Amino acid sequence: MIPGIEFFLTLIIYITIFLIVTLSYNLVYGYMGVPDYGRALAAAGGGCLAGYLPGRLMMLFLGMQGDYFENVFIIVNEINQVLRANPLLSITLLLLTIVLGAVFAGLLGLVVSFPILRGIRMFYLAISLLAIHAGFQIIVYHWDPIIRGEFGVPLPDPFMWIANYTPMGISTGVMRGVIIIITSGIVLLITAYYCNSVGKSPLGRLLKAVRDDEKSAHALGRDVNTLYLKTMAVSYAFSGAAGVLFAYYQGYIIGLNFPREGWTFWPLAMIILGGLANNKGAILGTSVFITLKRLIIFYKSDLEPILPFSPIWLDGLLLGLFLIILLIYRPRGLIPEESELPFDKEKILKLKEKK
Amino acid sequence: MHTIVFANIISMMAMSVTLTMSKTNVNNFAAATYGTVGIYVSFTCIKIFGIGLYPSLIFSFIVGGIIGVATHILLIKPLKNRGASTREIMIATLALDTVLIALLNIYADFLNQTLKVMSRDFTFKPYDFSLYGYDGVFIVSSVILISILTTLYLLYTRTKIGIALRGMGENPSLSECQGIDTEKLSIFTWFLSGSLPAIAGSLFPVYYISNPNTSLFLGITVFGSSILGGFMTIYDATAGAYIVSFAQIYLVSFLSSIFGSWVLSYRFLVPLTIILITLLIFPQGLYGLPWKQLAEKLGLLKEKGEGES
Repeated sequence: MIPGIEFFLTLIIYITIFLIVTLSYNLVYGYMGVPDYGRALAAAGGGCLAGYLPGRLMMLFLGMQGDYFENVFIIVNEINQVLRANPLLSITLLLLTIVLGAVFAGLLGLVVSFPILRGIRMFYLAISLLAIHAGFQIIVYHWDPIIRGEFGVPLPDPFMWIANYTPMGISTGVMRGVIIIITSGIVLLITAYYCNSVGKSPLGRLLKAVRDDEKSAHALGRDVNTLYLKTMAVSYAFSGAAGVLFAYYQGYIIGLNFPREGWTFWPLAMIILGGLANNKGAILGTSVFITLKRLIIFYKSDLEPILPFSPIWLDGLLLGLFLIILLIYRPRGLIPEESELPFDKEKILKLKEKK
Repeated sequence: MHTIVFANIISMMAMSVTLTMSKTNVNNFAAATYGTVGIYVSFTCIKIFGIGLYPSLIFSFIVGGIIGVATHILLIKPLKNRGASTREIMIATLALDTVLIALLNIYADFLNQTLKVMSRDFTFKPYDFSLYGYDGVFIVSSVILISILTTLYLLYTRTKIGIALRGMGENPSLSECQGIDTEKLSIFTWFLSGSLPAIAGSLFPVYYISNPNTSLFLGITVFGSSILGGFMTIYDATAGAYIVSFAQIYLVSFLSSIFGSWVLSYRFLVPLTIILITLLIFPQGLYGLPWKQLAEKLGLLKEKGEGES
């Protein structure tokens, strides 16, 4: 079976959304060396905000009455009718949710940095962040007022207006895919520009200095704690925006949509495959792994009769094996991190000559 | 009885985490999943080979130990040889955890599809026995835990291997200089760290419904216990496991009697909260608490200087 247009659209959507996650994660993990194994929390924060807020905001805006959760399907359907007829309102809602999702996730980034400020590092920090994500997941999954607990909620669809603009008989589904790619592409460009600028700036070198020797950086007068706080908050904010986009793409969200395997360990594998503290590497790693994952999902029905087990377990198996093989045989990734000079070589030579 | 059995099981798993951390300086995130391996070894013995639950513990012990040693030889040793950082070793054990869970799910599917055996959400309750009104699992798990604690206490304090193990835990390089074969000791430690949770895992399904993903929930309690214990001695790990297990069961039951049964859904927040409180307030856990000063304050010990004259 040859993949069709829907497959490629889904693939590009996943790649763009996960690139936002891996590039921002690379800032914390690759550049700064924080073992943030609770990273799924960032995307989950954005995703949950997208499940909680836009529907209620639209209810207020449209003057709708009643309990949102009790009649969620009817209310969301009515909201969608309004959004379909009103592109400007849809785009405003989308942008507002992305911004608020990013802000909320950024705040979560500040909150989870508290153990860092208390001097907790490495294993203890890793387990703290894992625990915080697990706790968040338990609360979101069981506490109804956020996103209806285990039942989840449908989201208003800010891409619905595109159904009115389908040139040359292109299906609504394809057009929706294209508009999601454009939206996530814009967010990705902003993320990539920011991460690339940081990587090439003195700030990027400072992050690496903290990663390699935190005490020396501190001794040289750098405010390491503030740096941790700011980096975590910014990085979480970008991942939160990715969470919002993912929630809107899915159109429905439940508390288990952001598991640690999918939103922490796979992005981690993508970063390690590409190469730590290396944005080109993150792009390469993300593209390779997402393509592989999507192909497994696409050929799932073909694999099922051949394998004596469900192909869904291949996801975890491959994730773990890839990580182990990479860590043993290719720890610096496909594009290893290069030592960066503050100026180009000629300028450095000139400075030397002057001395 | 249920709580003590649960605490005994968690104790053995927490011991595994503490052993690898204190003796080989490796944070093993896969320890709880060794327990699920034990569950499926016993399941295979019972359902496929017709061996009883308690004889199957021998096989769990051996298979768990082999997996522990394989972890050391195939994963930890190559990483350490190439000078991998603590962070990389942590990720490697997380990756191992993911692989083991996937393999257990694959095995469960294989049992289900090929051998037509119901391999998910089962219990071993029908295979347990009763003695003087006490369930077999209560007696066996308690006897095993006390035996392990006694044996390891004697090993660490009365034998040369034990002293060498303590030396390796404190300073591996210096131990090697003293002629201690740290490789053999590491293999021994990893064998124990695999076999202890595997035995514990075999006992878990007697009271609790089990499946290949059981460790995802048990892991939180196990790490909560080890962190509360302080990652230094198996006795502190056991104490941590008892506190966390009792808190997880009794505290949640107490709260649910006041606020309603919905509280039960949040029982896993108890070990998570314990983890965070411990790390933020007394990161060295029970091991690091000033027990002597505390005892002196409570009048259990004579204060310094008193009686010296």
